[in-house]
Amino acid sequence: MNDLTLIRKNLFRKKLRAILLTLSILIAFLIFGVLGAFYKVWNSGAELAADNRLVTVNRINFTVTMPYAYWGRIQAVEGVEAASFANWFGGYYQEPTRQVQTFAVDPESYLNVYPELVFEPEQRAAFIANRTCLAVGRDIADFYGWSLGDRIPLLSNIWQKSDGSSSWEFDICAVFDGREDYPANYAMFHYEYYNEDLAFNQDQIGWIVIQTQSADMNASVADTIDTMFANSPAETETATEAAFSEGFANQFGNIALILLFVVGSAFSTILIIVGFTMVTAINERTGEIAVMKTLGFPAPRIFRMVLSESVMLSLVGGLLGLGLAWGMVTLIAAAPGVSAFLPGLSMPQNVFIAGVGLAVLLGLLTGIIPAINAQRVKIVTALGKQ
Amino acid sequence: MFKQIGAVTMINLRSIPQRAGLSLATIISIALVTGVLLGFLAMSNGFRATLQGTGSDNVAVALRAGSQAELNSGLSSEDVRLIEEAPGVARDSEGRPLVSGELYVIVDGTKRASGTDANLPLRGVGPQALSLREGFEMVEGRMFEPGTNELVVGASVLREFSGFDLGETIRLGSNEWVVVGIFSTGGSVFESEIWADIAVIQNLYNRGTAVQSVRARLTSVEAIEDLRAWEEDEPRVNLDIESETDFFASQAGGTAVLIEFVGWPLAIIMAIGALAGAWNTMYSSVDTRMREIATLRAIGFSGFAAAVGTMVESLVLAALGGLVGALAIYLLFNGVSASTLGSGFTQVVFSFAVTGGSVIAGMVMAVVIGFFGGLVPAIRSAYVPLLTVHRSE
Repeated sequence: MNDLTLIRKNLFRKKLRAILLTLSILIAFLIFGVLGAFYKVWNSGAELAADNRLVTVNRINFTVTMPYAYWGRIQAVEGVEAASFANWFGGYYQEPTRQVQTFAVDPESYLNVYPELVFEPEQRAAFIANRTCLAVGRDIADFYGWSLGDRIPLLSNIWQKSDGSSSWEFDICAVFDGREDYPANYAMFHYEYYNEDLAFNQDQIGWIVIQTQSADMNASVADTIDTMFANSPAETETATEAAFSEGFANQFGNIALILLFVVGSAFSTILIIVGFTMVTAINERTGEIAVMKTLGFPAPRIFRMVLSESVMLSLVGGLLGLGLAWGMVTLIAAAPGVSAFLPGLSMPQNVFIAGVGLAVLLGLLTGIIPAINAQRVKIVTALGKQ
Repeated sequence: MFKQIGAVTMINLRSIPQRAGLSLATIISIALVTGVLLGFLAMSNGFRATLQGTGSDNVAVALRAGSQAELNSGLSSEDVRLIEEAPGVARDSEGRPLVSGELYVIVDGTKRASGTDANLPLRGVGPQALSLREGFEMVEGRMFEPGTNELVVGASVLREFSGFDLGETIRLGSNEWVVVGIFSTGGSVFESEIWADIAVIQNLYNRGTAVQSVRARLTSVEAIEDLRAWEEDEPRVNLDIESETDFFASQAGGTAVLIEFVGWPLAIIMAIGALAGAWNTMYSSVDTRMREIATLRAIGFSGFAAAVGTMVESLVLAALGGLVGALAIYLLFNGVSASTLGSGFTQVVFSFAVTGGSVIAGMVMAVVIGFFGGLVPAIRSAYVPLLTVHRSE
């Protein structure tokens, strides 16, 4: 019988207690894993941002538009590799509640600055050539059951044509994917096709996306652009794509702090429950430990055994919890329609690794006091008790 | 019988200090679970209260049909003029229609909490806007002068965003504005707004004479039907007309429900974890009192009394945990100001509200955890074999 067997037997000597402890540990790690996966999606805008991509918006606010001519002027700025622009369409399909994230873009330049968007070569060419084309992200196409060749009307809750209608007809000629986790949950079409019919706000664009020659030039490019438009009716604010995404996510509130509170509560709970139970469990075994010492088990070995017992308990609960979280996240991600709203939902590797680390830490924290107690057991007093 | 139950229960409760560690663990774990639930509910209740506290049944809001939100809407001065003449619209003592055409531009404000920019509505209003907001008052300073670059700021904006103090100059794009007043509307959504003269905003943002929304005071709550009927028959307008109360209540839905949809499942899953903890504690409690329970049984106490004693102990610990959690959340979060992006695509400032209803929900959850945590140990304590009396420790 080696130490491991002894540790295992000790751990499960009271089966119900071991199961209950495992269950409470499992729950904490389940919460950690699932929230970690959701947080990754939440944060994906900043995470997936290219480090040499900048976003220029109107300084008043990103919902305020800028003149179309800015695009041309920005392309000429030193350090700019490529630039494109987009405008928010406020699109919906049939019913106002069935919203479709839709952008009016200049296709060729837009695809240049977003190499993450994956097109079949002939569909890419069709999107660029065909002015009534709507390029649809895979997630959206699946959600609405659209396929290549469909002709669909999209309505705008903002824009109107000069004839008073708010509906634009599109031919779906491309369905695109996102590379790796990059979201494909939006649609885009030719800015020209939409702009020519606009009843108001013609020749205005929402934001400009810039690819700089290298990330080192970001600051100087941003500075040049913002200085160029200073004191004009539409001043600009240029930031890295990551900063822009993060700023937008922050508008909803400090989600990270809320999640920290929840995960913190879950872990405090198990720390307290498991910690006190381990102390009690080892106290119950004082006599046995004294016998082991009598038999010649050195104190450090007993210390190690008790500590290993709590680490083993944490790891069993933790791995089960993380496994369950992985299963749940996979199930949720596979549910119909989810990918359109939570693109790239999956169990992130770093959350899993952090979870395993936390499990070991939890085991050490809950085991350290009982382990010290066990190491200090004096044979005379312990056996004298009986 | 009841005497027995009372006696055993008292023995149980008085002996809790002997198991202080595990009992404390149960109380704290249940307090944390209750706290998480109440925290989420305080958030959603606070947000909902702010939106539901906004608006009046006596005011109708008209937007361009299909626009869904004020921001997306656009109406002409002709639309405003037609609404002024429409049936059901009230007039003031001098016979002027109580109608206010308004528009807003989203501008950046810096959140105090994060230091990042967030969307704030800069609303352009005319002289009638005040008569359409009940409870409007200037808290500090004065109202803006029409035709100037002066603006007044809602009290909530001041609380959550930096740079809007009285007298401060604000640069929005290439224009400078001066804050001349702070206003309150009794904690409603309008307090999360900045107001300036509509003509100045129309001019600066090239909106001509267009507005986004029209608010009209109704002659009575029912008069909204007259207004809707008029809209149906009037070919020159194409509007969505809603009472202001409904307009804001429908906006409360999404966010508040979403918060609850996150909060409840999290709390329930955490409750299962705490339940395992409570069960473990009660199990140990019965374990350490084996001889004591057996002795009681030997001198004639019923198994039922022993079970009740154990169950009451569990319920008391759980209720204590629930109370501690509720109290902590109340002290930490009640009234705390926060802001999030509302459905108007601008920040809505609200205060966390720990309501009586949510405290009851939290306590019920705590007691349920205590009940199920104590159930099996209680049954077990009813069946302690009498021979345990003789077992040596």
